[in-house]
Amino acid sequence: MELKQIKELISLVNSTDLTEVEIENGDFRLRIRREQKEAVPTPIRVMETVMPEVVGTPEPVVESREGLVEITAPMVGTFYRAPAPDADPFIQVGETITQGQVLFIIEAMKMMNEIESEVKGVVKQILVDNGEPVEYGQPILLIDPRA
Amino acid sequence: MLRRILVANRGEIALRIIRACRELNIETIAVYSEADRNSLHTRWADKAVCIGPAASRNSYLNAQNILAAAVAHGADAVHPGYGYLSESAIFAEICEAHNLVFVGPTAEQIELLGDKSRAKATMRAAGVPVVPGSEGAIHDESELIAVAEEVGYPVMIKASAGGGGKGMRLARDRGELIKAYHTARSEAAAAFSNDEVYLERFIEAPRHIEVQLFGDNYGNIVHFGERECSLQRRHQKLIEECPSAAVDESMRAAMGRAAVLGATAVNYRNAGTMEFLLDASGEFYFMEMNTRIQVEHPVTEMVYGIDLIKEQIRIASDEALGYDQGDISPMGHAIECRINAEAVRMNSRPSPGLIETLLVPGGYGVRWDSHVYQGYTVPPYYDSMFGKLIAWGTDRDEAIHRMKRALAELTVEGIETSIPFHRAMMDDPAFRGARFSTDFLEEWLAETELSPKE
Repeated sequence: MELKQIKELISLVNSTDLTEVEIENGDFRLRIRREQKEAVPTPIRVMETVMPEVVGTPEPVVESREGLVEITAPMVGTFYRAPAPDADPFIQVGETITQGQVLFIIEAMKMMNEIESEVKGVVKQILVDNGEPVEYGQPILLIDPRA
Repeated sequence: MLRRILVANRGEIALRIIRACRELNIETIAVYSEADRNSLHTRWADKAVCIGPAASRNSYLNAQNILAAAVAHGADAVHPGYGYLSESAIFAEICEAHNLVFVGPTAEQIELLGDKSRAKATMRAAGVPVVPGSEGAIHDESELIAVAEEVGYPVMIKASAGGGGKGMRLARDRGELIKAYHTARSEAAAAFSNDEVYLERFIEAPRHIEVQLFGDNYGNIVHFGERECSLQRRHQKLIEECPSAAVDESMRAAMGRAAVLGATAVNYRNAGTMEFLLDASGEFYFMEMNTRIQVEHPVTEMVYGIDLIKEQIRIASDEALGYDQGDISPMGHAIECRINAEAVRMNSRPSPGLIETLLVPGGYGVRWDSHVYQGYTVPPYYDSMFGKLIAWGTDRDEAIHRMKRALAELTVEGIETSIPFHRAMMDDPAFRGARFSTDFLEEWLAETELSPKE
């Protein structure tokens, strides 16, 4: 089987709901398997990829927010990760932040309110999508202050 | 028609507005404080947004958070309910500046009518009867005597900067006048650092009667009769009725005409209420105008067969009234009992807490407007009213009997409520005979007040 054919097969599988395809032809066997994204909640993925690197322990704290600090919305408005639509986000997951650093913006009453961090640590997760409305007290970020 | 309304209030009125919107296929955004997460209004709205901590000044009075919620969730209008931001001209103005329709009058109308002395001057000029008195401050004794003679005794001398009964003195005749004047002035100076006083005729044992007004954006203004609101404690109404037993058809027409005249003078739009004092001789005087929907609006709805909240929304959607005064007529009688989390006969001691049992009355002519349910905790941060029980009857007598029956069914366990007070009042001979004024309730309570031990 040629590489081109394999590529075509992969895109074919991707365009369907199939998660696994196996083809056998003489001594040639190909199995294409797709990861089910739905089955793996985003929080866990983030924890898994970041925790070992930072903490260096083989058993990362998955599905638990224990020890993490929640940064909540101090006002109602629209959440923005960047100072302008084409600008880089203020922070990324995995980044180390310090006190006083701008984390995100909440737009309210046509005012861009820069929200600064009161803690230092590592950004574990961003819980709100860019441009989404947020309510008072809504958790926005998870920060690991131990890192 | 409006598409999506943010309801900038809590409790029963938030729910009342959401219910009207649902019937009109208008989407709703509820707002709530952290203490109101479990209130029913957050559940029946299409969306609910937390706008701050328990304290009202940081949540229900937080104009910025409320407007940000309206904008972020794509509302095209804000309904302020009563209390909170409903009579804030600035809030109404900011709403309009953000292209949000404020369901109510214009900012200018709120500002003008919210200023008591300007409102009074406007109404006097429009031909609405106001309490006779001095035009502005009294400057010396000779002016005082001249005005008092002209107005007629008894007179009340009041501090211009006044409030809460301070700097107020009654004079029944000329002998008492000079002393009352100087006492009021020194009291006013001590309390408000301003000794300016004015004079008004004292209306003895008045009734508090208010007229429901409605105006559209095209200059059409009508009234929906009056409400009897004399049963108050410390200016808090406890029982309201529509119509008033003290108002007959010709007085209703005269009061309604006066109210419409005053509203027309300011080109009033949306729902408003003109409050009058009615004296024993049948004379009535303008007191003030409330530029919002009232707590007691359901008694008018029951008697006039109209949904006033829907009317507010319809008019805010720029629709014309579509009817005139001749199309409006009352039918029967309605009574509202405010069900508060307080022991009325123990000096209105507040009683927030968990409602362990709730049985709500029903049946023909009975209406229950409330945001609570069994298992709900009445938070300690807000007004103690958690429900309104309304009964309609073909006449006042039937309405009283129906209210009695409904009050007997209404069961609230876990907190103290105003229900025992209302049950006693429905059996009171003076109430049954409609013989009362604004002084009645305080006196009645002073006589029947239970000591905390009982």
